[in-house]
Amino acid sequence: MKRQAAWCWLVLSPLVCAQNVTYERLVHALDEQQNWLTYWGDYSAIRHRDLKQINTSNVKDLRVDWIFQTGQPGSFEAVPLVVDGVMYFTAAGGYAYALDARSGRQLWMYKHAFPPGRKADFVNRGLAILGNRLFMATPDANVVALDARTGRLVWQTEMAPFNGGQHQATLAPLVIKDKVIVGISSAEWGIRGFIDAYEAATGKRAWRFWTIPAKDEPGGDTWAADSWKRGGGSTWMTGTYDPQLNTLYWGVGNPGPDLYGESRKGDNLYTCSLVAVDPDTGKLKWHFQFTPHDTHDWDAAETPMLLDLNWKGRNRKLVVQANRNAFFYVLDRETGEFLMGKPFARQNWAKELDAKGRPILMPNTEPSPEGTRLCPGLAGGTNWMAPSYNPETRLFYFAVREGCDVYYSSPPVYVEGRQYWGSMQRAASDEPEWGMLKALDPLTGETTWDFRYTHAPWAGTLSTAGGLIFAGDQDGYLMAFDAKTGRNLWRFNTGNPLSNSPMTFMVNGRQYITMPSGSAVLTFALP
Amino acid sequence: MRMAGVGIALVCSFAAWGQTARDLAGGKASFRSNCAFCHGLAGGGGRGPALSSGRLQHGSTEEDIKNVVRNGVPGSTMPAFDFEKEELDALAAYVKSLSGSATVAVTLPGDAVKGRKIYDRTGCRGCHQIGAEGSVFGPELSRIGAARSPDYIRESIVDPSADIPDEYAGVTVITRDGRRITGVRINEDTFTLQMRDASQNFRMFQKDEVQQVIPEKKSLMPAYGSLSQEDLQDLLAYLNTLRGDLNTGAEVKKAGGIR
Repeated sequence: MKRQAAWCWLVLSPLVCAQNVTYERLVHALDEQQNWLTYWGDYSAIRHRDLKQINTSNVKDLRVDWIFQTGQPGSFEAVPLVVDGVMYFTAAGGYAYALDARSGRQLWMYKHAFPPGRKADFVNRGLAILGNRLFMATPDANVVALDARTGRLVWQTEMAPFNGGQHQATLAPLVIKDKVIVGISSAEWGIRGFIDAYEAATGKRAWRFWTIPAKDEPGGDTWAADSWKRGGGSTWMTGTYDPQLNTLYWGVGNPGPDLYGESRKGDNLYTCSLVAVDPDTGKLKWHFQFTPHDTHDWDAAETPMLLDLNWKGRNRKLVVQANRNAFFYVLDRETGEFLMGKPFARQNWAKELDAKGRPILMPNTEPSPEGTRLCPGLAGGTNWMAPSYNPETRLFYFAVREGCDVYYSSPPVYVEGRQYWGSMQRAASDEPEWGMLKALDPLTGETTWDFRYTHAPWAGTLSTAGGLIFAGDQDGYLMAFDAKTGRNLWRFNTGNPLSNSPMTFMVNGRQYITMPSGSAVLTFALP
Repeated sequence: MRMAGVGIALVCSFAAWGQTARDLAGGKASFRSNCAFCHGLAGGGGRGPALSSGRLQHGSTEEDIKNVVRNGVPGSTMPAFDFEKEELDALAAYVKSLSGSATVAVTLPGDAVKGRKIYDRTGCRGCHQIGAEGSVFGPELSRIGAARSPDYIRESIVDPSADIPDEYAGVTVITRDGRRITGVRINEDTFTLQMRDASQNFRMFQKDEVQQVIPEKKSLMPAYGSLSQEDLQDLLAYLNTLRGDLNTGAEVKKAGGIR
């Protein structure tokens, strides 16, 4: 604990300090190992905590300490923030909560007010905090600022017209300096995607970065005719940030229509790409496209994790991503230079990647009216669930989905406020999906160990200095593994498929593990 | 093993795509990517019943068809689909068109009364249930004539491994002391397994307490390829008469969508 936080804790009471999360504290979030100050836990999204009260020798005794029932239906995908003993999170349908993180007792609840008749019960992934304000992207594509002390609405700004579901937001915002950065979902609705920045003080929009360039802009020639206008490219997961380079990294989703590419010939920039953006101006610094002209819904929304590693004898600032297209990528995050790309799950769409990381395609990978069987499936070799990196084992831990789909295609008709898919996929009928927790060496892309799940997972991982990896599976198990060996040391059946990633925090010297499941927040501790 | 067309339900909840014109071409494209998996490319049936016979189990008007697509069929593998109105209209019109001018269901050759005797003689009730009679080990057959096409039933008798519904996949557990226990898999997760054995008992295991869990590649049902053509036709004729009530209390599955 450092800087204001330490001063505050010594002189004042914890609840007073909770209201003062400065940008400086966010930059140094890893100095506050007891807290979890951003969606990813810190700007780099490493998701490793230097907490070892719960460790390989005692994790067998881990048990539920408290449960908070939101009563809200829908997939519970929010990762809570914990700030000095207070837990903040959202639930599907526009709810936000503050709890006493030790007891699970509610401090306040906020319910977003939808205009009459508007149905928007989509998932939500959480909050961002700055000063004494929390920020939330609502299911109907508004950004709201709440008073962290009361849950009272401070300001509300519409990102884009909801329009019957055309514009939706599901992500947790990211605060950088005095701005709240958000993205938009709904590439399936014929939108033109963007990343927005709003002034934290007022809610006024500071800039917008269009993920689909207009015809006359650089990259505009990668879209046939006027297809860019409905090109998709949503930005539905939170980005990461390097304060030294003052660069924001954001994964861009699939082009639209998803499974029909004839009407949008070209590479379709910046879909299925990582974009590096100046957070002060919203100007593009560089981009890297993983899947040019995607027709399989392989968003690049997966976590762009920032790692500083010795790459072939030289310390380099890297950004790594296990992509939905089943390749693990390493890029130089100063320049966007492609350094490595290796398949981590079964794939039969790319022969290989060329020297610049562009895939060389296998024949007959396009969706077709009769159906084309291809791996990975539409949900990808992995997806939005968070990976983690352990600096001691130097391994990258993530959830792998093994499955193939039959992709169908037919020319869609665009109707505003309707989905714009170009047909759909069915699971390949000759084999069920399954999954793994995988420990991968990010320097080589090789697997060190893996643990097989019976069903393909939608839950991510957490790494701790206790030598543990926490992970969840589709059968509802929260599990702890030995980070070195992959041995399963503990499990708990939460009773609902897990669609989230575990997190940890500490209050009054006691370490907790939290994992939402169903409509409940489950928090675990040692007896 | 093929997977049930709905067991794949991946993630979220929306209808398939954005076709809107109320035309047969649109309905056909929709049929191919959503229905053909079970009902066959031309609606001739498969795991699901034939839709080209002119007489559909739940009513043959476009409105009836839409009801079934919208609400699913409880206790069956037919899920509920969430289509936009125009998409559903086009799909129902296409399904209706599959019947052409046919108005009467095709009558099967064979003697159903004799078929019933063959059913008893062959020991089918040792594993199957009709009404309240028989065993719950294998699939219940009270409605099989309505739920499956004759071709599919024929295949299931002579080559049951050709298509094994997910909920009847076989699995064998080898215990630590070397015993082999085989049954129908009710559920399997990363750490546990629940099955129903041939004596109709639940058998439940923790994977770390057994030696091995082996998924059976073949159906647990023996192949009855040795039946004479005549016996087979009689048996099919009998099974085709089984059109009992729906299990209305059973779960309605939800069609898979995409995030």
